[in-house]
Amino acid sequence: MSVLKSENLPPIIKDSFITGLITLILAIPIVGLPTINATEGLQIEPRWSVVIWMVLAVFLGRLVLNFWWHREQPSSSSTSPLNTPFLQSLQQLLKFIIPIGVLFALILPTMPFASRYVMDVAILVITYIMLGWGLNIVVGLAGLLDLGYVAFYAIGAYSYALLANYFDWSFWICLPLAGVFAAISGILLGFPVLRLRGDYLAIVTLGFGEIIRVILLNWYEFTGGPDGISGIPRPSFFGLEFKRSSEGTFSSFFGLDYSSMHRIIFLYYLILALALLTNFVTLRLRKLPVGRAWEALREDEIACRSLGINPTNTKLTAFAIGATFGGLAGSFFATRQGFISPESFTFIESAVILAIVVLGGMGSQIGVVLASVVLIGGTELFRELEEYRMLAFGALMVGIMVWKPRGLLAHREPTIRIETEGSS
Amino acid sequence: MSNLLTVNHLTMRFGGLTAIDDVSFSARNKEITAIIGPNGAGKTTVFNCLTGFYKPNVGELLLHDGSLTHRLERLEDFVVAQKARVARTFQNIRLFPAMSVLENLLVAQHNKLMLASGWTIKGLIGLHSYINQETQAIGLAKYWLDKTNLMNRANDNASDLPYGDQRRLEIARAMCTDPRMLCLDEPAAGMNPKESAELNSLLQFIRDEHKIGVLLIEHDMSVVMEISDHIIVLDYGRKIAEGSPEQVRNDPAVIKAYLGEDEDEELPPKVAADLQGETSHG
Repeated sequence: MSVLKSENLPPIIKDSFITGLITLILAIPIVGLPTINATEGLQIEPRWSVVIWMVLAVFLGRLVLNFWWHREQPSSSSTSPLNTPFLQSLQQLLKFIIPIGVLFALILPTMPFASRYVMDVAILVITYIMLGWGLNIVVGLAGLLDLGYVAFYAIGAYSYALLANYFDWSFWICLPLAGVFAAISGILLGFPVLRLRGDYLAIVTLGFGEIIRVILLNWYEFTGGPDGISGIPRPSFFGLEFKRSSEGTFSSFFGLDYSSMHRIIFLYYLILALALLTNFVTLRLRKLPVGRAWEALREDEIACRSLGINPTNTKLTAFAIGATFGGLAGSFFATRQGFISPESFTFIESAVILAIVVLGGMGSQIGVVLASVVLIGGTELFRELEEYRMLAFGALMVGIMVWKPRGLLAHREPTIRIETEGSS
Repeated sequence: MSNLLTVNHLTMRFGGLTAIDDVSFSARNKEITAIIGPNGAGKTTVFNCLTGFYKPNVGELLLHDGSLTHRLERLEDFVVAQKARVARTFQNIRLFPAMSVLENLLVAQHNKLMLASGWTIKGLIGLHSYINQETQAIGLAKYWLDKTNLMNRANDNASDLPYGDQRRLEIARAMCTDPRMLCLDEPAAGMNPKESAELNSLLQFIRDEHKIGVLLIEHDMSVVMEISDHIIVLDYGRKIAEGSPEQVRNDPAVIKAYLGEDEDEELPPKVAADLQGETSHG
């Protein structure tokens, strides 16, 4: 495979050399000559060794890339990534990956490495998976670009927090109510934007997300404004609370020693169940007329109209169902944090959720899982990079888009297949 | 044979441009009615008015359905397809490219299936009544796949089909809505003579076996002259002639519209050849 033709060598070295030279020119002023605060004022303290290492790294990296690009290509017919054996093996692989992934998620809390930190990251990743799946209905299936999805997340979170604060209702009553409120707001958002598509729709949804955040921020008497809402009740396990007490708590009922991990593990299973519900419903809907109509609407709205499909209802159901899952996730977020404020629902959250959907491959359920593990889990891995963390996050996104322009898993399986004679 | 469609005084203006000017005609059930005319004559605009995509400025579009009469000019586009059961295809093919051929045909049966799935609730639980209805829908899809010779491409994406197959798939998709009237906008465009001949027999089959009215816009005279029962000729938004293929072919106004006043004045060569060729052996 990696046999290299000798005539390719000079251009490769030349190309790598030029790349190194560009790095050198850029690195000297940017990296090589930093200013420091000295007693006599600003001074320049050259860092030539760093520059040399950078140039060497870029040169060698480019060399490796070039070798990779110039490796002997097998005959072009079999290199196409879309040929059937490749797809078939991918599908077989996916068949195994899905149950293994679900199983792994189920037994994760019992693993020896499942520390408090690992569980927290896992809960965070699954929350984003759920949000990604919810948004996937609107963006991936119905093709309605929504930049304000975090509004539904916020509505779910504040629904639970306010209902619990004002009426003292339990989490299990508020959870479905949060979903209903989010769905209603989804429909309210849906009505004015029914005629819009693409960029125009994106801008209106962006505005909607901001409106919700600004309302939460300014309606001080009701939402607490920038102070947020604290002391949100934690969920109970069939009425058993997670507290250090001898009466009526989870640990005393099951005769266990109290551990703060119990609640974390309970929350983990709660969000896992919610996420799996989202996935189950989405997969089911895709195979139903409403799901096919969403995808048809994404493909061609005029053709949909000519077939008698009511575009208004179809869009509104997509908005409502997508928003419901956002609301459920929001209500989970409120109960997990115990404190919410408008800070948590800024535009960047919508952008991250949208990035997960797009990077995963629009409409692909497993793509969303992969993308949120890579993006959210990966960002946690980069925590040691401190201030360069967001740089790594951005580089990761750019990298994925360069490597896979249509998302990690862009392949779409038909929702239904029939036996055809002769060919498969 | 009764009238299926009556168009009275249809006028459609876009700003200062009158695309259709007081056109009246009727189309019958179990007949193929062709609308022909030079480019820009307003043929597709007539279709867009009939299917509710445009709201005409003046005029009455009546679709007769037994004792019922649907006033198409008052209905929204998707209601025209849903209630009056007028199906159409498009001049520039409009399929659902990323969906499979079979899925395209199931989307066409959306309203029926939506009802069967109890607006999704019954379907979500997986009740048998929905599953049975879906099996029937697949049966209807298979029937039209078989009629349009697309059976072996059923699981492929619509965008992967060659051009002629895409045109036939669009007809199959329109027929899956169980229409009372089928409007075809240049179905033979881009087809080779063999494909056009197959299209002819498909359209005749639809007319004779399914007993619906077919409204056809077409430039390919070999299709129009062979299968049409009735032809309406438009030019600059006006109806200039109407009648059987024989009458229309010899109508001086039609010849003038297609070939110009003087015979040596810029002839559109293909049209001229087609028209004369048809006349000589017709």
